[in-house]
Amino acid sequence: MENISLVGLSRQVALQRELDVIANNLANLNTTGFKGDEVVFQEFISPTARDDTFQRGADRRMSFVWDRATATNLGQGPMESTGNSLDVGLGGRGYFVVQTPDGERYTRNGSFEINAQGQLVTKQGYQVLGDNGPIAFDQSDTGITITRDGTISVIGNNATNQPAGQRGRLRVVDGNTPRAMEKAGDNLFTLRGGAQVANLPPANVDLRQGYIEKSNVTPVLEMSRMIEVTRAYTALASSIERHDQLRRDAIRSLGNPTS
Amino acid sequence: MRALHTAATGMMAQELTVQVISNNIANMRTTGFKRQRAEFQDMLYDQQRRAGMQNSQQGNVLPVGIAIGSGVKPAATSRVMSQGNILPTEKDYDVAIRGEGYFRVQLPDGRTAYTRDGSFELNDQGQLVTVDGNLVDPGITIPTTARGVTINPSGTVQVTLQNQVAPQTVGTIQLSRFVNKAGLESIGDNLFLETAASGQPTTTAPNVDGMGSLLQKNLEQSNVTAVSEISDLIAAQRAYEMNARIISAADQMLQSTSQIMR
Repeated sequence: MENISLVGLSRQVALQRELDVIANNLANLNTTGFKGDEVVFQEFISPTARDDTFQRGADRRMSFVWDRATATNLGQGPMESTGNSLDVGLGGRGYFVVQTPDGERYTRNGSFEINAQGQLVTKQGYQVLGDNGPIAFDQSDTGITITRDGTISVIGNNATNQPAGQRGRLRVVDGNTPRAMEKAGDNLFTLRGGAQVANLPPANVDLRQGYIEKSNVTPVLEMSRMIEVTRAYTALASSIERHDQLRRDAIRSLGNPTS
Repeated sequence: MRALHTAATGMMAQELTVQVISNNIANMRTTGFKRQRAEFQDMLYDQQRRAGMQNSQQGNVLPVGIAIGSGVKPAATSRVMSQGNILPTEKDYDVAIRGEGYFRVQLPDGRTAYTRDGSFELNDQGQLVTVDGNLVDPGITIPTTARGVTINPSGTVQVTLQNQVAPQTVGTIQLSRFVNKAGLESIGDNLFLETAASGQPTTTAPNVDGMGSLLQKNLEQSNVTAVSEISDLIAAQRAYEMNARIISAADQMLQSTSQIMR
């Protein structure tokens, strides 16, 4: 008979974790390039504990719930215009490549800066990689233009305002499987074990200079999920409570031979 | 419950957004002001079940794991360096920059600061100064006998002296620009300082080498647009509310559990 509590408990633990995920999504409502997470539930059929208390025909297996995984929703976030020439919104597939002390990391946050050495860096100061390594600007460069395929050209130190040349092309990669990327915090993704990245061909890259990709979290969806989670949790709590009451009543009446 | 703390980081992030927005709105009428934007990053993920692990019973590999994030943290308040509207003022010493560049200003302690605020005045010695009295660098002195002053788009300052027909050049206003102007440090009073992130200034006359041109009798307004600030404010306020709802939801769940034991 304890199974009622245990099945309820398995669901409650899963619901708590789902609320944790919803909380993280909502906390990152304004995080540039953020991708929301979803919890994937699975039925877990108990291999040993069988509900054969009452011997009604065949054994019936217990089924618990299991929060098997969190899946990242990789859908496109809305683009917001910022007017900064070093903000790059990434449309469609792909990730920018950044060089961190722990190796290459990937990001959808294209809000870049230039460091004291003139190199293109993220807000944390990690180098943004181009097709030929880090991208660097001269001090006299101005009028930085980034085309749709990521080619960066500048107006240099000349009076004619003619393009002075190219400063490289932003490297945009994608994993070889849909789930190749794993979140690493700081708006970065890291490659899952065994997965690989490949450069996207320039024709498949869709960059927008002066834009950033906002978080793809849909507040309405998250709020309705949150309500669902609280209601389910409360309902389970009351069912556990009723079960407890049932047991208490049973003990009281069965343990009293005079009644 | 992790959700309580996660939502708290979300609420703090929205508070920061509101602070930045309120400073933008407060400076809506500040000459040459550039609006700021708060930027955020997600925090570390707790890998509760790693993807790629062997699923012991069947020998399958888990395609996805459980990774639960722990909230949000501020990453930067970056400045949006777009051009502000240029408004005519009919004052001789009001100068707006159209395009790239900053005026150079000599601070009393000897440092050089940079500004887009070209509402200049003359001090008692006839020197061109900012409204705070800081000297414009390189220094420009207008003779007391000058009748009219013209500042042309290339920065040349010309005056016509009394009893003379031909205008005389008294100096040239120079501009400085930075490879990463978003990396300049704001020190208030519409002034910026050079930092390691901004790089060193390139200084030339206006209108050459990609530098902006000057516009006399005009001032650059702030680039704050009321409509977008207010809509950002509404978005931040609603996001704050939603994070607060998570806290009450988590509280309600904990309460329903604790009430079982009476």
